[in-house]
Amino acid sequence: MSRHRKRRHSEASGDLGFQIAPMIDVVFVVLVFFMSLAASVKIEAELNSRLPGNATTSASVDFPDEQTISIEVNGQVLLNDDPLDGPDETALPRLTQTLLRLKQNSENARTTLLVTISSAPKAPYYRTIDVLNALAAAAIDNVTFTVDEGF
Amino acid sequence: MAGGGSGDGEEPEFQIAPMIDVLLVLLIFFMSSITKQVARVDKGITLPIASNASKRDDARDESIINVRWDAATETAAFTFEDQIYPKLDPVVPLLARRQSLTQKHRIVIRGDRLVPAEQISLVMSAAAEAGIADITFAAAPR
Repeated sequence: MSRHRKRRHSEASGDLGFQIAPMIDVVFVVLVFFMSLAASVKIEAELNSRLPGNATTSASVDFPDEQTISIEVNGQVLLNDDPLDGPDETALPRLTQTLLRLKQNSENARTTLLVTISSAPKAPYYRTIDVLNALAAAAIDNVTFTVDEGF
Repeated sequence: MAGGGSGDGEEPEFQIAPMIDVLLVLLIFFMSSITKQVARVDKGITLPIASNASKRDDARDESIINVRWDAATETAAFTFEDQIYPKLDPVVPLLARRQSLTQKHRIVIRGDRLVPAEQISLVMSAAAEAGIADITFAAAPR
């Protein structure tokens, strides 16, 4: 009853009051905008690495167990000049298995496993990521990078 | 709001207040989840896939360098803080300044999957020149 009276009063005075319907319209439009934007957003992951720094020479230095992974222009991956997996194999199963074994050996021998990725200058970046992915699977985080002009 | 009591046989009234509550909660959820990610997405870059990559640590202070690759002209372009740089020399002092502000600063390299390795190497050289050793490669998890 009082609501009707209030509405009549507001109509008479020209004051429309708070309109809920346009507000819901606007909220819906904004919601649909953000929902459509959410569909296009890609989730990103990360592969971490540290660049090599300067070592202090006053203390004794343990020589690390160093392995070199080379990447050729066609995407062929070599571990210590030994070709492993095909150039089109993104999962690199043989490399991953070998790295897991090397990691196990270095842990048993209590040495640090250091891996150097030496890539051909024109080798595609995704191949470097494939190798880093294999290193992440083997939990190897001592990685250095070089671009070898000798390829 | 009038209550929609069903005990006395009346039709329940449409409740507008809870609907607005739900809408606003959804809106805030989508706004908060998107705003941060949209800022760094460069649609010209297709990230390489790495299934073993770890989840992104968004809490850390970071500088994102996008490396685009134009296959037609075979040229790379670097993007840092919404500015395109054909070479990284002007970026080095900017990175060094940010590194001096926080020691836990890192560089995130968002490279196109087809970029030649030498271009990524240039970014790492710029990071080393700026005194930043902490490097992260962005990848798509699948």
